[in-house]
Amino acid sequence: MIEVLGVHKSFGSLEVLRGVSLNVAAGEVVVVLGPSGSGKSTLLRTINHLEKVDRGFITIDGALIGYQRRGGKLHELKEREILKQRKDIGFVFQNFNLFPHLTALENIAEVADPVQARHFLERVGLVDKADAYPRQLSGGQQQRVAIARALATQPKVVLFDEPTSALDPELVGEVLDVLRDLARSGTTMVVVTHEIGFAREVADRIVFMDDGVIVEEGTPDEVLDHPVHERTRAFLSKVL
Amino acid sequence: MTSSGTLTLVSTKDDDLSSLPVVPARHPWRWVGVAFVLVLAAQFVHGLVTNPAWDWPTFARYFTAQSILTAVGTTIVLTVLGTVLGFALGIVVAVLRMSKSPFLSAVGWTYIWAFRSIPLIVQLLFWFNISYLYQRLSLGIPFGPEFVSFETIALISPMGAAVLGLALHQAAYAAEIVRSGVISVDRGQLEAAAALGIPRFRQFRRIVLPQAMRSILPNAANEVISLFKGTSVVSVMAIGELFYQVQVIYGRNARVVALLMVATVWYIILTTLLSIGQHYVERYFARGDRR
Repeated sequence: MIEVLGVHKSFGSLEVLRGVSLNVAAGEVVVVLGPSGSGKSTLLRTINHLEKVDRGFITIDGALIGYQRRGGKLHELKEREILKQRKDIGFVFQNFNLFPHLTALENIAEVADPVQARHFLERVGLVDKADAYPRQLSGGQQQRVAIARALATQPKVVLFDEPTSALDPELVGEVLDVLRDLARSGTTMVVVTHEIGFAREVADRIVFMDDGVIVEEGTPDEVLDHPVHERTRAFLSKVL
Repeated sequence: MTSSGTLTLVSTKDDDLSSLPVVPARHPWRWVGVAFVLVLAAQFVHGLVTNPAWDWPTFARYFTAQSILTAVGTTIVLTVLGTVLGFALGIVVAVLRMSKSPFLSAVGWTYIWAFRSIPLIVQLLFWFNISYLYQRLSLGIPFGPEFVSFETIALISPMGAAVLGLALHQAAYAAEIVRSGVISVDRGQLEAAAALGIPRFRQFRRIVLPQAMRSILPNAANEVISLFKGTSVVSVMAIGELFYQVQVIYGRNARVVALLMVATVWYIILTTLLSIGQHYVERYFARGDRR
């Protein structure tokens, strides 16, 4: 479903991604772990073209993201085309990024009709908060609305960029519950997170990144309990 | 020494302070300040009422005179046109200024630079005298044939020149106010809108502008009010707005103070109405901020 091939990305002289390749099958849940600054978030942001790549390419369901192949060249797509492609790629931000001047329902209704919007709100268990503004909601509730909004464009894949990192500890559980439900319902998901317990329970595959490359990947059992690489072991010893 | 001794005594003898009444700190100097200001205010009001030089009968005679009301109308028309055209053009200039194209951005910057550099009164006199510079204006292909041609003096009336000058001047300031509002919106908002695939124009209209309005409004209200009083500058072009009209009248009857008060009170009333309007518009755009 998602194919990332040989992606390089630099910010100025700092090379954040140094040749990353990743395949995610339809319905698969991939959790990306790694220390901060390892390039996890940047990888996620290149998948929906919030960041342009310097080299390599990304496809979703066979469609090249952000570019069009014509002749022997990759032509950058017009913004309008890229915006259209993004409807296939849900994105959930660390800081929710709900629109503060719109109610929970209106946030979702920006990209879906009101009846559907209510349905998506129901799916994250917040239909009674439809008319609340983001400021009136707890962090956990805000993130659940943000997830409903990401689902409202009916994406083929959903990307989560540290969805629980901005939350108070007691609010993490309700957001992870929603992610669990989504995973069970067969949604194709890539989740960047520091929640190792969640990764072990829900991930079909765990990818460990460090210093702009994928160091190792495998089932939760392989990566978390029998890591091959020294860097993975060092990271896990700090977070477990 | 004594006070610390007392403290120790209290805490050892009686640990429970929760039952003691709390005495708020006193601020006697604040009351002195209040009394001082009240005396000054009373003196001022006393002067207004008792000093015959204020000439209230003349004030009353002219305050709602037909010529004054017409002039107030002209002032309002100038303000409304200056604001609407100024902000419409200002939004365009702000968009240019924020464009990713260096050329368009430079065009926006240059516009703001030029119109902020020229004093309004100088600019107004230029427009008023434009027909000395260009006697005819025409529409056609640049450097090619003309289709239609007008006498400049017929096309740009003094009122037209005033509106043009005020709007062009206002646009430069409006552009910076709009830009300041747009850059005050959190980057994450644009990223979220982009990630959802919301089309570009809709992003601006539905997501950015309503949030930018919160910081645009107080500044914009300042500008409107300042423009409203600034319309008095067009009196140099002999346009019958409020300030020009009172000048004409006191030129005739020499009741300078009374007529200046007529203008002053009208300016105060209309500014008050604008301020009240500002309050309600701001409240509307703050709706997501309620708890």
